[in-house]
Formats: sequence, C-alpha cells, structure tokens
Amino acid sequence: MMKDPFGGILLNIAFRVLVPFTLVYAVYVLVLGETSPGGGFQAGVVMGFGIVLARLILGERATIFNIQMKNSLVLAGCGTFIYTLAGWLTLFGGGKFLDYSFMPVHMEPAHEMHALGILMIEIGVTICVMMTILNIMDAVVERSDDDGRAE
Amino acid sequence: MQIYTIEAILLIFLILITICIIYERDLLSAIMTYSAFSFCAVLMYLMMGSPDVAFTEVVVGTVSTIFYVIALKKLDRWCK
Repeated sequence: MMKDPFGGILLNIAFRVLVPFTLVYAVYVLVLGETSPGGGFQAGVVMGFGIVLARLILGERATIFNIQMKNSLVLAGCGTFIYTLAGWLTLFGGGKFLDYSFMPVHMEPAHEMHALGILMIEIGVTICVMMTILNIMDAVVERSDDDGRAE
Repeated sequence: MQIYTIEAILLIFLILITICIIYERDLLSAIMTYSAFSFCAVLMYLMMGSPDVAFTEVVVGTVSTIFYVIALKKLDRWCK
C-alpha cells in the first residue's frame, strides 16, 4: 500500500464518481466485447485501472481494494485456470480444445454455446490481467516505499 | 491521397516525439511526452482501421503512465 497517497480534497470527491463508473464500464466492455471493440484484456486493464485509481487516491485507507501481493498472484493463476477449464470442458465433451460446439451445456442455437464459451474464457483473461496489473503496482509501490525508508 | 498525408504527418510526429523522449533530461516531462506518443499511436491505429488495438493502446498507455509516475515519486526527477 502507498505510504503517502496522491489524494487532495478534489481527488477525494472525484473518487466517488470515477471509480464506480470505471468498474461498471469494465464489465460493459467485457460483456459487449463480441460485437464491439473490447474484450477480456481491455476489460481487465480497465478494471485494474479502477482499483489502482482507488489505491492512488485513498492510499492505506482503501481497505475494500486491499488485495495482498500473494493473493493477487494466486488469483491471476485462477484466471488462467478458468481459461484452461473452458478448453478442457470441450475436450471432455468430445471436441477439440476450445471447440465451443461441444460444451457440456446444450442450448438450442449453436451460437449461444459459442457465446457462452467465449464469455467464459474472457472472464478468465479479465481476472488474470486485472490481478497482474495489481501485482505490478504492488511491486512498484513496495520498491519505492523501501527506497523512501532507506533514505 | 489526403489519408496518406495525415498518416505521414502522424509518423513524423511519432519520430519527433521519440527523439524528444530520448534527449529529455526531465523525467516527468519525458513521461508526459510518452503519453503524447501513445496518443499519436492511437490515432495511427484508428486510421489503419483497427479500433480494438487502439482501445488497448489507450488503456495500456494510461496505466503505464500511472506506473511511471508512481515510480518517479521516490526517484530524482532530473536525470544527470
């Protein structure tokens, strides 16, 4: 966590508008990624950007977004696992890797199953990218805090 | 013809901004110039017809600028 955040009175008030809208916009980008520009990677970076913004403004007071460094690494692995799980589900259904026509759930139009599979791997990518962003920020902030203590 | 002109202007901008970043002694100024580089790259991607890559460049450019500023907070601003 940052020892001395960037916040002032203006940023503290802007925080209440900026961060929720950023997070909701990330979900919008994730869900509409099939038909418009966007997708898992962009949604993950936007979501990580919202949490980074909260940490920058509030510093140590941002207890809601206080994900430790170890947990963020584990959650990034979980995101990759969700991606791989979608591929293995289609393998067990009898198809090839990431062949969405063989998903274990059966829906009547075939493109519904494609949409479900793509949404699943996009959620995995989103979690992985978001946690990686948070991990990078933790590494940078921890190093700069250490330097400040050494001086 | 006009679209080629705009692309050429943007490419010249990119090269000039890169030279500015290399020879800049003020690190905060270099970071801000880097975000200008990112913006010109976004315009290039949009002109080439790939809004997906442009969106990625917008988001990643913003986040990396923030990371550089955080790292600069405890560093010396002037590069000797």
